[in-house]
Amino acid sequence: MDSLTLIRDFALGNGDIQPDKIVPEAVLADIGIDSLMLLELLFEFEETSGIALPKDLPHPTTVQDLVDQLDKLRAQTPSTTA
Amino acid sequence: MKAQRRVAVTGLGLTGPWGGDVDDFFRRMLAGVSAIAQYDSGEAHLAVSMPAVRCTDFDPLADIGHKVPTLDRSGLLGLAAANAAWRQAGLPMAETPQRRAGVFWGTALPGALTIERCYRDVFIGQRARIAPLTLVTAMSNSTASHIAIEHKLGGPCLTYTIACAAAATAIGEGFRRIRDGSVDVVVTGGSDSPLSIGTVRAWEAMRVLAGSAPRGAAAACRPFAADRDGLVLGEGAAALVLEEWSHAQARGATILAELAGYGCSSDAGHLVRPSQDGQVAAMRGALDDAGLSHTDIGYVNAHGTATPEGDPIEIAAIREVFGAHAAALPVSATKSMHGHMMGATGAIEALLCIQALRHGAIPPTAHLDDVSADCAGVFHVRGAALEHKIGACLSNSFAFGGSNAVLALRRA
Repeated sequence: MDSLTLIRDFALGNGDIQPDKIVPEAVLADIGIDSLMLLELLFEFEETSGIALPKDLPHPTTVQDLVDQLDKLRAQTPSTTA
Repeated sequence: MKAQRRVAVTGLGLTGPWGGDVDDFFRRMLAGVSAIAQYDSGEAHLAVSMPAVRCTDFDPLADIGHKVPTLDRSGLLGLAAANAAWRQAGLPMAETPQRRAGVFWGTALPGALTIERCYRDVFIGQRARIAPLTLVTAMSNSTASHIAIEHKLGGPCLTYTIACAAAATAIGEGFRRIRDGSVDVVVTGGSDSPLSIGTVRAWEAMRVLAGSAPRGAAAACRPFAADRDGLVLGEGAAALVLEEWSHAQARGATILAELAGYGCSSDAGHLVRPSQDGQVAAMRGALDDAGLSHTDIGYVNAHGTATPEGDPIEIAAIREVFGAHAAALPVSATKSMHGHMMGATGAIEALLCIQALRHGAIPPTAHLDDVSADCAGVFHVRGAALEHKIGACLSNSFAFGGSNAVLALRRA
């Protein structure tokens, strides 16, 4: 599953968000992914990808920021099959 | 001397076994219909099977209107009830936190399901990590906080975890905050969903739960009966909107009843064996607080859990408070039908008291065919509802831990 799809699936499953609002330039907080929900999303990413996130992960502002972070983590862990 | 502020009830909300319709719930209670049914947890190796009350049709998304991933089932039941009460009260939705409006919520074991899931992950699943929202979902004040957030209630947001007296205490303490002038509007009540397997097993170990034999699950809870067998656990929530009287009048709100008094006491004796003296003190406290005489009271909604030890002590306490008036005093224990909803039970029973005041009808104690000799001396409403216009009533809640809370309500 690519990172944008993961974010979309999570947001649709956990909030009242219109699918068309989940676009790269959207601000996470504006679409209902606040700091608490981000924690849960990152937990879900760790669970599905098997990639342990570093504690000092920068706080993403937009959907694209988050996509970039998750893609980078995947790239750094080539053995993952997620 | 400055006139004392009065407290109006302007909204009622319910998440009950048949849904959220308060009038429908009351009609069923008047008809003696039991919501108790056999509950099977469905997990073969840990299976729990017992009489219980469940809100089987509860749909959090439909009943609340949006997803709330940071609430345990208990909190979802509570938020739905609070929202319904708010709607009935017809108060406006504020844009910013309102400092003269607060939340006073009761609950006994609010995060039980979430904690149990967490323990399964850690101890059975051998997982070192658990879902990040576990803590904020399971914390005891989560429900109250969500109610405050939902309705911008920016005054005190307090949670009372006082076992079976939680909701009555929350309602009483909220009432006092309005009366003392701290706030004008309070959303109060209680919620619980105590049917996690661990919680049920703990209750079983106390040997106070009723079995379904010999009369079937629906008749498992038989308060004051010679053949009473113990209490029945239930889940649910009820909420009241309390409002300073002139505040309610000024906006043309329908006043459903007056919350007139509140008494609380501690047995300060034994953790689970109730005390007649403690219960008498709470009932007298509520009467005094309301400025009512015991002869003004036309109905007592008893705590009446159907335990062999508890019921006779409550009846003895009622007899002591009401004296010669006791023999003619209508008393019923509606837990015979809606079960013991733990931290919600005081709110559900206050709601029924308000309905009784409004409609001049008292729901019976169901399944009370043969009154136990040690529970005699009051007028047990049984067999059928009692058509009886009453001006004031008491709602009793007595908790493990020895905490007692009694509400005095008056017809508007």
